[in-house]
Amino acid sequence: MRLSEIKPNKIVDARGSFCPGPLMELIKAIKEAEVGEIVSVYSTDSGSKRDIPLWVQKAGHELLGVFEREGFTEFVVKKKR
Amino acid sequence: MTKNVLIVGGGTGGTIAANLLSYKLREEIRRGEVRIQLIEQSKRHFYQPAYLLIPFGLSEVSEAVKSERELLSESVELITERATRINVEDRFVETEKGKYTYDYLIIATGSVPDPSQVQGLSEGAHHFYDLDSSLKLEESLAKFNGGKIVVGVAGVPYKCPPAPLEFTFLVEDYFRRRHMRNKVEIEYLYPLPRVFPIESVADFAYNIMLERGIKANLLFNIESVDPGKKEIISMEGDSTKYDLAVIIPPHRGADVIIKSGIGDKGGWIPTDRYTLNMKNYDDVYVIGDATDLPISKAGSTADFEASVVSSRIADSIRGIKPRAVYDGRVMCFLLSKIGEGSLLVFDYENPSKPVKPNFFCYWYKMAYNRLYWNITARALLPGFGV
Ligand SMILES: Cc1cc2nc3c(=O)[nH]c(=O)nc-3n(C[C@H](O)[C@H](O)[C@H](O)COP(=O)(O)OP(=O)(O)OC[C@H]3O[C@@H](n4cnc5c(N)ncnc54)[C@H](O)[C@@H]3O)c2cc1C
Repeated sequence: MRLSEIKPNKIVDARGSFCPGPLMELIKAIKEAEVGEIVSVYSTDSGSKRDIPLWVQKAGHELLGVFEREGFTEFVVKKKR
Repeated sequence: MTKNVLIVGGGTGGTIAANLLSYKLREEIRRGEVRIQLIEQSKRHFYQPAYLLIPFGLSEVSEAVKSERELLSESVELITERATRINVEDRFVETEKGKYTYDYLIIATGSVPDPSQVQGLSEGAHHFYDLDSSLKLEESLAKFNGGKIVVGVAGVPYKCPPAPLEFTFLVEDYFRRRHMRNKVEIEYLYPLPRVFPIESVADFAYNIMLERGIKANLLFNIESVDPGKKEIISMEGDSTKYDLAVIIPPHRGADVIIKSGIGDKGGWIPTDRYTLNMKNYDDVYVIGDATDLPISKAGSTADFEASVVSSRIADSIRGIKPRAVYDGRVMCFLLSKIGEGSLLVFDYENPSKPVKPNFFCYWYKMAYNRLYWNITARALLPGFGV
């Protein structure tokens, strides 16, 4: 499957969220998701580019892609365990 | 025909919205054209920020609880019943005793800290997110004679994001003042790679931790607690031991939202971030902790939102296209110790630049309890609150 064809099971629109912030929203969505599901999170917070990959790696999930969209960044994560 | 504005939930958001509407629409209410009803299950109104202070003897029950009726404007009809079902298709709310129809509905049912979502949490850890738990913690802290205290968050979202940090700083201060600091080890667990979501705040808070000998254990998402071994286990595969654990439980939406099937998996209601309408229903508004918005669940949020929603409803009743929109504004104090605090203000567009901890912010936060009962909840100065 090509990256552009990935269909997330859930999109979390965390644009404009500084507190609790996009990573907290992602953690919440991943907790609620089933193993194998894909969650995509939209962020306008500059810290996300460092935070999100760090957490995804530590928590043992998979970062399928990071995309620059118009005015925000999209992170696509697969729940692995 | 009389227009009926029905509010479910008379906590911070619902009470302020009811009082604001009764003031904005006083002429229409006097002429019998508008009626405002508020359904609240409890006769008592709680000022939750006091729960953070009670364990340290910095506030007391009488400052945390007052009568709901006394806070409400006379023209608001208070219905002390528990809502059991909200039907947004047929526009009514059912309670244990009756059925109430509406032209406009405001849902302000708040959030519920729910320790049962994490294995071992209720038995193994304290928290301070309701009055009873806060009082129990006061007792345990008073009796604590040394060992390791762990403070953490067991799930997101939780209300008042600075509360775990504030608790950590205050507990350190508490034992220092009691000349026991050398007998107490303090560890702070947090789900993110830093000690607070907002980077600038995280930086200054982390410096305070270094200065005051508090250990930060980061990227620690609590999965379970083992009360027997006194151990906390994380989703990331780490663990830590404790003698006394203070862990904020995961939150969910109110039972009535979940039972009515109008929330997402966590019981949060899908809400438009600007108009605050429940998505796809322009006669239903959602304020405070009950929304699914990715912003802080806080009393200040509920206050600002109540102001937007009451203004939109007043416009609609007068046949004007609603004008007010919510800009995502949140305002929170952060206590760093007795006598010192900082203030965070931010919105959808602007991150917070926290002010350097100072005495005035501390004083204002302590004085704010009185302001809440006399000004904020009565909606005398809308949007003034924290
Ligand atoms: C320890 C602590 C410290 C805090 N500190 C701060 C702070 O410093 N600053 C800040 O801004 N915020 C703070 N908060 C957060 C703040 O208290 C909440 O975010 C705020 O109260 C949310 O308002 P609300 O109206 O959405 O919900 P609430 O005030 O919780 O009110 C919800 C109401 O709905 C009622 N209800 C629920 N279900 C039903 C039903 N089925 N039928 C009838 N009634 C129902 C409940 O009885 C309740 O009265 C703190 C919270 C805690 C716990």
